[in-house]
Amino acid sequence: MGVASERLPGGKAKPGRLSGAWGSVRSEFNDPEKRTAYWMILPTTLIVLLVAAWPILYAVWLSLQRILPNTTEWVWFDNYAQMFADPVFYSALSNTFFFTVISVFFEFTLGLSIALALNKSFRGQGTARAIAIVPWAFPTVVSGAMWRLFYQDEVGIFAALASGLGYEGVILANDASVLIGAIVSDVWKTTPFVALLLLAGLQTIPGDVYEAARVDGATKWQQFTRVTLPLLKPAILVALLFRTLDAWRVYDLFWSMSDRQLDSLSTYVFEFVRVSQADFSIGNAAAVFVFVSSIVIAFVFVKVLGVRQEA
Amino acid sequence: MDDDNKQSALGRIGFWVGIVLFLIFTLFPLYWVLRMSLVSSDALFEKPSFGTIFSIPFDMSGKCNLFGLKFSCPPSYQTVLADDLYKDGLLNSLIIAGITTIVCLVVGSAAAYALARIEFVARKPVLSAVLAISFFPAVAIIAPLFIQFQSFGLLNTYWAAIIPDVMFALPLTVYLLVAYFRQLPADLEDAAKVDGANVWQAFYRVTIPLSAPGVVTTGLLTFIFAWNEFLFANTFLLEPKVQPATVIIPQFASIYTVDYGAQAAAALLMTVPLVIMVLFFQRRIVAGLTAGAVK
Amino acid sequence: MGGRHRERRGGLSRRDFLKYGSAGILGASVLSSCSRVASGFTGAETVPEGTLIFSHGPDSSGTIPKVIAKFNKDNQDGITVLYREAPADSGQYFDKLRTEFQAGGATTDIISGDVIWPAQFGPNGWIVDLSDRFTKEMQSQFLEPAIETNTFDGKIYGVPWFADVGMLYYRTDLLEEAGLDAPPRTWDELMEMAREVQDKTNTQYGLLFQGAEYEGGVVNGLEFIYNAGAEVMPPDDPTKIVIDQGGADKGLAMQQRLVVEGVAPEAVSTWKELETQDAFIKGNAVFMRSWPFVYGTILGGKETGSELKPDQVGVAPIPTLAEGDESFSGQGGWNFFINADTKKADECFKFIEYMIQPEIQAEFAVGASFLPPRTSLYEDEKLLKDQPVIELAKDLVTRMKPRPRHPFYSDMSLVMADEFNSVIKNDSSPDEAVRALQTELERLANLGAEVYDL
Repeated sequence: MGVASERLPGGKAKPGRLSGAWGSVRSEFNDPEKRTAYWMILPTTLIVLLVAAWPILYAVWLSLQRILPNTTEWVWFDNYAQMFADPVFYSALSNTFFFTVISVFFEFTLGLSIALALNKSFRGQGTARAIAIVPWAFPTVVSGAMWRLFYQDEVGIFAALASGLGYEGVILANDASVLIGAIVSDVWKTTPFVALLLLAGLQTIPGDVYEAARVDGATKWQQFTRVTLPLLKPAILVALLFRTLDAWRVYDLFWSMSDRQLDSLSTYVFEFVRVSQADFSIGNAAAVFVFVSSIVIAFVFVKVLGVRQEA
Repeated sequence: MDDDNKQSALGRIGFWVGIVLFLIFTLFPLYWVLRMSLVSSDALFEKPSFGTIFSIPFDMSGKCNLFGLKFSCPPSYQTVLADDLYKDGLLNSLIIAGITTIVCLVVGSAAAYALARIEFVARKPVLSAVLAISFFPAVAIIAPLFIQFQSFGLLNTYWAAIIPDVMFALPLTVYLLVAYFRQLPADLEDAAKVDGANVWQAFYRVTIPLSAPGVVTTGLLTFIFAWNEFLFANTFLLEPKVQPATVIIPQFASIYTVDYGAQAAAALLMTVPLVIMVLFFQRRIVAGLTAGAVK
Repeated sequence: MGGRHRERRGGLSRRDFLKYGSAGILGASVLSSCSRVASGFTGAETVPEGTLIFSHGPDSSGTIPKVIAKFNKDNQDGITVLYREAPADSGQYFDKLRTEFQAGGATTDIISGDVIWPAQFGPNGWIVDLSDRFTKEMQSQFLEPAIETNTFDGKIYGVPWFADVGMLYYRTDLLEEAGLDAPPRTWDELMEMAREVQDKTNTQYGLLFQGAEYEGGVVNGLEFIYNAGAEVMPPDDPTKIVIDQGGADKGLAMQQRLVVEGVAPEAVSTWKELETQDAFIKGNAVFMRSWPFVYGTILGGKETGSELKPDQVGVAPIPTLAEGDESFSGQGGWNFFINADTKKADECFKFIEYMIQPEIQAEFAVGASFLPPRTSLYEDEKLLKDQPVIELAKDLVTRMKPRPRHPFYSDMSLVMADEFNSVIKNDSSPDEAVRALQTELERLANLGAEVYDL
């Protein structure tokens, strides 16, 4: 669709792309409705520019230098080269990838099912909703440590249940089982978030739309695929997009639950930016990598799922 | 939304089985955490087995003092309730989360309305920029933000936590509200405009009430995020007087040991206000449903 | 519009009660904290002018506030000290301080710091060089390793507050049952003894130690290396790494063997002090390597969760690899540093001098189970009686050996923790680990030598 290219009467076309863009923005100020739009987005834009843009740009700028306690030298992309040569980086990348794909899949499917279920009126619906939110509401700073305790050999409830069911190993000693444990913990915590999000979306769909479909003879499944899903698309997109990006940047869970054994991209950043003294700069490069890769993921999402403009 | 008679019985059974399984999966870890907070420290580390799962060896040897009422309670709760830093922390959490939510809703809903309903040139860039700022790993901008806050004298004030919280909560707020606003048919707002309302009036007289479930949900999610936020609060709030409860809870520990019982109790107490809020507000969410169907 | 609240005549419905009740509680707490909250928004200073701020982690024994209150009352110079609780986790505390130092504005005047911090803070000029205040004469009254760990590049940056030392706990009753009368001196002996005792008494674990990937794991791994007669870094030369000489790989190999052959459970690769203590005090292990605090738990009996009585437990030096070698123990402990930014360095030092007096150290020993770093207190009859842990640790504190002192120790610790944990999990061989460590640590040492002009 691209940038709206309408020109209002009286607006002049200016030479150059950037000044052309600013020109079209300025010309829009003449339309009262569009002017209001600019006022409405002003606070948000200010926050984005002033508070967020500076630290981010600064971190990007830092990533091009080698920072040491007494010296700073400009090394261009050397930090990135070092990062891409680090085997730990690749293990962090693959851990994060598997974690993201698997947990988002489960969170979305379970979340959607729960949202559909809670959307029906039944006794105790309100209580069920309140209960459903508790895992999400439980403070992350504690839940990571608690889950680690649950999986801990000898004292943990899940370790005991697992060995009761015949599992022989030490859950936390094995990278693969730690990852699975992290996924389970994240699905537990985040499914309510997805469910609540989708539920609100479901409840904004007016009931008469279903009535009309029923009158037209649609079955429940058809109602679901032809009415519910399309109308729910914006909410689904937001849920998927944000969950995927959150999972891609997971830090708390990996740090407190796997306790440094397993790296995610963000714990990799943390180790270099916050713990290391000598290799601080590589951390910034990794942070920029997370930033850029997140942008790519978001772009892919939006393209694939499509953001249709509705009148 | 009636069921087809054919699938009624099977559907209902499946539905209830699903709900029950879901509740078990959700509640069991919480039950275990609750159990941890109620028992004594050596029962805490007892090797669990299938037989002991549902037994709770309550330990009531502690003395609690809440708003002047004295009563026996588990020692973990005694530790937590006697801790002034924790109680002050809860108030700090409320202030930080409350202000963050209000700012996000006010600022974010206005922006979301414009982004959802009005075609203007800067629309796409703003949408992308707002989303993009949440992509940067928070851990990497801690240091630049620290320097920024320090030079503005904001360290150790609530603002040092509110500002980053707003920064990271705003993208989700905006995107959620854009999605909920889009789900509403535009003809209601158009009707209002025909009646002479301007954009602002259409926004807060028509859109907001109709999208109440969405707005309330977004507000709740934002509040919960800010309430549980740890990284920024921990780094920028160095004095106990402004620290929220999330920063205080890990302090129930010593160099070599962690007081899991106290942390469990403190975490559960922190979660209670959120549950109350959801219970209170979920009527609004339901109310929105009936309002939405009315033309 | 609205829900279904039942209005009882003359009374409050449940919803209303919740609403008004919580509003009431909220209002009351806000009102009572008005000034504090207001200063939370404006950033107004609530600490009185001239007060010195002292930071240390949480103290559940309550001894620290007591002593500080005494100091504030008794001192002749009108100094007031405020105890500000630092993060319980040492790594987090370090992170916080370093962020503040790097941004140029740490507000703590007297910092209580871990033994691995002097070399990381000092060369950057963040803490005061105490060489002229903490004289050699004063230093001689303290345990040598405690002084050593506070020194770097010829300067002393910290004053020892209390020490912590690695020790081998063993079950005297189980050994007796198996017909053994003395604790093992070498690891081979320990393995044999553990097997015998386990056979005869059916005890679950032979040996417990902290092998998780964290600082404690580094201490454990280093103990095995030191007790194999090897070093990571020569004590007076932070530019050299010598881990590939002297048999460090044999030390790590022994650590690996203990796990692989089942003397220590596989789970030690995920266990820290809390888990190992728990298994030991429930009576499930013959030997455990840990710190003095466990003895305090045992003395506490049922109340602190111990199923063991003090007479069932003995303490010995960490076993060595070769017969007759000197035994070394991992070193912990906390020390006083002065923030280089403080305007009242002299007052800070006066506070430190107060805290290191023999009587005050004895008070901490009894009240908080802090092992004193003063050598004289280990001969003090009364103290030995009042605090049994001192007797136990008497011999061991002379065997402490510091971890490598280097400005880039944080990086080194990350690498060592990773490699040691790999070896314990049998994911890499001791040989591989030592070679990897040599390369990586050398890179860090060279970088450090360059940056800090060592």
